[in-house]
Amino acid sequence: MSKNNQKQEDQGTNLLYKLIGEARGYDDVIVMGRGDPDFDTPPHIVAAAEEAMIHRHAEYTPPAGLPPLREAIAERVKRVNNIDVDPATEVVVTNGGQEALFLMVLATVGPGDEMIVPEPNYNTYADSLDFAGATKVEVQTWPHEDFRADPALVRAAVTERTRALLLVSPNNPCASVISPADTRELLDIAIKRDLMILSDEIYDLFVYDDFVHTSPASLPGGKERTLTLNALSKSYSMTGWRLGWITGPADLMARVAELKAAISGGVSVISQYAGLAALTGPQEPVEMMAAAYKRRRRLVLDALDAMGMAYGLPQGGQFVFADIGFTGMDSAEVAQRMLTEQHVLAYPGSAFSKDRKDYLRMTFLQPEDKLIEGLERMKVAMQGIMAGR
Amino acid sequence: MPSASKAFMLSWHNANRALNTPLPAQTARHGADFSADEIISPLDERVIASASEAMEAGQTHYVDVPGIGPLREALADYLNRAGGSAYEAGNIIVTAGMQEARFLTIQKIGELFDSIGVPAVAHPGARKALGVRRRNIVSLPVDSARGYLPAIDGIAAALAEGCRLLYLESPSRLSGAAYTADEVAAISQLVGEHDAAVIWDQGLAPWIDGDYNSLAALESTPTRVAALSDGWPGMGLSSWFLGAIAAPADWIPAMQSQKQIMAICTATATQYAALEAGQIYNERRDERLAQMRRQREGALHAAAAAGLEVVAGAALNILALRAGAGGEAALAKLRESGADGAHFGAPDTVRLTISNAAAAALRDATEKETE
Repeated sequence: MSKNNQKQEDQGTNLLYKLIGEARGYDDVIVMGRGDPDFDTPPHIVAAAEEAMIHRHAEYTPPAGLPPLREAIAERVKRVNNIDVDPATEVVVTNGGQEALFLMVLATVGPGDEMIVPEPNYNTYADSLDFAGATKVEVQTWPHEDFRADPALVRAAVTERTRALLLVSPNNPCASVISPADTRELLDIAIKRDLMILSDEIYDLFVYDDFVHTSPASLPGGKERTLTLNALSKSYSMTGWRLGWITGPADLMARVAELKAAISGGVSVISQYAGLAALTGPQEPVEMMAAAYKRRRRLVLDALDAMGMAYGLPQGGQFVFADIGFTGMDSAEVAQRMLTEQHVLAYPGSAFSKDRKDYLRMTFLQPEDKLIEGLERMKVAMQGIMAGR
Repeated sequence: MPSASKAFMLSWHNANRALNTPLPAQTARHGADFSADEIISPLDERVIASASEAMEAGQTHYVDVPGIGPLREALADYLNRAGGSAYEAGNIIVTAGMQEARFLTIQKIGELFDSIGVPAVAHPGARKALGVRRRNIVSLPVDSARGYLPAIDGIAAALAEGCRLLYLESPSRLSGAAYTADEVAAISQLVGEHDAAVIWDQGLAPWIDGDYNSLAALESTPTRVAALSDGWPGMGLSSWFLGAIAAPADWIPAMQSQKQIMAICTATATQYAALEAGQIYNERRDERLAQMRRQREGALHAAAAAGLEVVAGAALNILALRAGAGGEAALAKLRESGADGAHFGAPDTVRLTISNAAAAALRDATEKETE
C-alpha cells in the first residue's frame, strides 16, 4: 500500500496514445490493446440514430439527459444491477463512461481528500484524482489471488482524510470480479468509516464461469453512499457514440448534474436516441458478443498457458493481465518491441500502475483468426526477447 | 445512517456559487422559447446522408482524441476564412460542444496562470467552468453602452495589476457586440506588452453582418490566443454538441490530454455530420445571413414599439433588450421566454434568440402592455 500524488499522465495516458499512434502506421497491425470492441454498433441502433437525425435533430436535452433515456437506464439498472433509482432525479447521462468517471471523482473528493483505489487500475482514475487535487491511496492486488481487492487491506488503508473508495468490477485491467461477500464487507467498511463508494460497472454484462457481479448500491445501506457508473461502449459496441451514465442518491446526483453542465453541457441527442434503442431494443447482439468474448477468452488463456505465462484468471471484462516478469524487461519496452517488430499492440502494465512494469494487458477484442495470429506473433516477439538476453 | 462525509461534500458544492450558475439551454425547449444559445435551424438532408454513410460504414468506434483529421482541417480553414487567422489542423481540438471548449481552455490554460480576468458580463458557462476547480477571478469592468464588452482601459488595468490570462468574448454572448479593429489591435498590444494570454470566444462571429476582427488573426498574438468556436452555427447541429478550440501548438497537448481524461473523443456521428455541414455553410452563408437580417429587422421594430431599448450588438442571431421609457412591463413579459441577463451579470437585460417567432413575441408583449 502506498500513497501516490504522482501525476501519471506521462507514463499512463500519453504512453498509450504514443503506442496507438505508432500502431496506425502498420497496415497489418493486430490491436490487442485498446478497449474498443471489433464489432460495429448493431444495425438497429444505427437505424434509430438515423431516424433521430430526421425527426429529433433539434430537440432540447437537459444536461442530465433526455427523460425517455433516463427511464430506460433506470429500468436497466433495476433489471441488471437490482438498483432502484428515480429516473427524474437519480440518473445523469454522460459523454461515455469516461466523463462519468471524471464526474464521479469531482463529485466526491476535493483538494486534500484521499480515495482508496485497488491497484492496478484504469489510468484515468489517477488523472482525474490529480485534477481534483485529491490523493490516490493504493491497495495492491495480486495475480496469485486473481487480483482480489482484499477488504482487510482496504480497512487498513482508511485514514481521517479518506473520503471515498473506488470499486471497479469487473476490473480494468486485471479482469477480477469482486465477490458478493467481499462487496458486502467493503460496503460495511464504507458505512463504518463513512466513505462514499464509486462503483465502476462498465463490464458488468461480461462475467465468466460461475463468478457473480454484485452492485454495492443494490445492498442495504449501499445506495445512499454509492455512485454507480456504466456505459454502452463495451456492451453494445458503441465506443464512438460517447454514451454513459451515473446513478446514485438524489442529493449527490444534483451535484453531478451541475458538474456535468459545467464541463460539457449535454450529450448529443442523436447518441441519446441511439442509446435508447440499445437499451429498449433487441438484446441478441449483446448475447452474441458476450458469447464471442467467452470463446476468445478461452483461446487467449490457452495460448498464454502454452507460452508458460502467468496471469490472474479473467473473471469478467474483456482483458487478461499477464505477467511478463520472466523477460526481465520493463513492460513499456516489451510492448514497444512487440509493436515495432511484430506489429502487435498490447498495453504495458506500467500505464496502469507504476508498480506493474512486469505486466501486459491484452484484450479479446479481435476476431478469432486475428487473435490467433496476434498471439503467434507475440510468441515470436517473446522468443526474440528471451534469445537476446 | 446519515453520512457526514457526503454532507460535507454537498455543503462544499452547494456553497460554490460559480458552479451553481444557471446556464441558458443549448437549444430551444419549444417554439416560444427564445432563451437558447443557438437558433433553431433545419438539418440539411446532405448532413444526414453524410453521417448515415459513415455510421453504416462502421464509423461507430473511438476516433482520435482531438477529432477526425478532415474535420480539424475544415475547422481550421473555416476559422481562417472567418477571422483571418492562420491555423492548421494540428491547432484544432474538436469538443463536445461549446461548454466543453470553455472548460478545457479555462481549466488547462488557467493552470499556467495565477488568475484569470473575466468580464463582469459574460456567458454564465465561463463562471460555471471556473467553479469546477476554483480559480482566482479578476472581474473586468464592462461598458454597457458598448454592448457590455470590457473597456480597453479596464483590460489594461487588470494586466497592470498582474492578471496574465484574459477570457474575452467578441461578439458578446449577451449582446452580440464585437470589438472594432482598433480595439482588437489595442488588446493585442496590451497582451504583448504584458506577456499575457487570452481565451477568445469568437463563437458568434459567423453571425456578424460585415467584417469580423479576431484577436487570433493579429501577428502579435497567435502564440498567445486560444480561440473558441461553435463550429458552424445555424446548420441544425445545436443538439449534437459540437465545438472547437484553436490554439498555439504548444498549448494543445495539455488540453488534448485532459480531453482524453474527460471524454476520450467527441461523438463520431457528430463529427461526420459537421464535416458536411461545413461544406453547406460555405455555400449558403450569404443566404442565411440575409434571412437573419430580415428577422432581426422585424424584432427591432417590435422592440421599439414596445418601449424597449436595444443593447448595441452586431451579431444577427441575438438581441439584448433593456426597458426603455414605459417598457418595464414588456421586459418583464419577455423574461419568461428569453434568457435572463442576470445570469450573464446584467440583471436589467433580457436576451432573445432571433426568429420570426421572437419578433411575434415582442409584438405580443407590446399588445398585452397596451390592453
